[in-house]
Amino acid sequence: MADISLQTYTVVITGAPYSSQAPQTALDFARAAVAAGHQIDRVFLYGDGVHIASALICPPSDEPHWPRLWSEFLAEHQIPAVACVASALRRGLIDSGEQQRYELSAHNIRAPFEIAGLGEWVEAGTCSKIIYFHSGA
Amino acid sequence: MTTLIVIDQAPYGSWSGREGLDMAFSLAAFDQSCALLFNGAGVNWLRTGQQPDGLGQKSVAQNLGAAAIFGVEALYADAQACQRYGLANDAIIAGVTLIAPDQTFMTGFEKVTFAG
Repeated sequence: MADISLQTYTVVITGAPYSSQAPQTALDFARAAVAAGHQIDRVFLYGDGVHIASALICPPSDEPHWPRLWSEFLAEHQIPAVACVASALRRGLIDSGEQQRYELSAHNIRAPFEIAGLGEWVEAGTCSKIIYFHSGA
Repeated sequence: MTTLIVIDQAPYGSWSGREGLDMAFSLAAFDQSCALLFNGAGVNWLRTGQQPDGLGQKSVAQNLGAAAIFGVEALYADAQACQRYGLANDAIIAGVTLIAPDQTFMTGFEKVTFAG
């Protein structure tokens, strides 16, 4: 079997945790890719996928905490992760900058996620392989 | 080097098509070549005479009208899906090219993606 050459991947997640398996499958992929020596240059959350970046998700204690597991993975491997600003604002995912801009009562982005535009996704397409994890609906 | 964004969900009941459109507009805004393909229930995006006022939503056909201005290179629709959803040629908004999304068509694109 030929060696798989090492790749740089961007992971895009569009499915929400607890209503789709996308964040879980994406995390399994990302762990396996890193373990095999591939690079993940960034994670981009789009559509319902932005819910992974919520600091307020509290699943029952006997269920996997996908946002926390993702945060830990990203921090451990120093992988930048971005939630699309348009998707995030529509769904109530707010960082301190947007809180001030819209004069909101709180912000709720979980570190190390950040909010940025679709330009991040466009840029990823020019320099790495993008792999998408959708809800499958 | 063109990216094909596929919209396969009917409008109004799902936001994924609008997010697909945003992806196409973003690519175009960054001078990346892109086109849109409507297939399955997604062909209903292309129906003339949409009246979404009762839903309190903006017309997706109107949103789509900005595609050419933004620089989206083409709007394609699966001819068979149009037939299945009763979309006669005169019920389809202007500027749409009917195609069969077969291997020959799809291999003309460097990347193919969905919004979800």
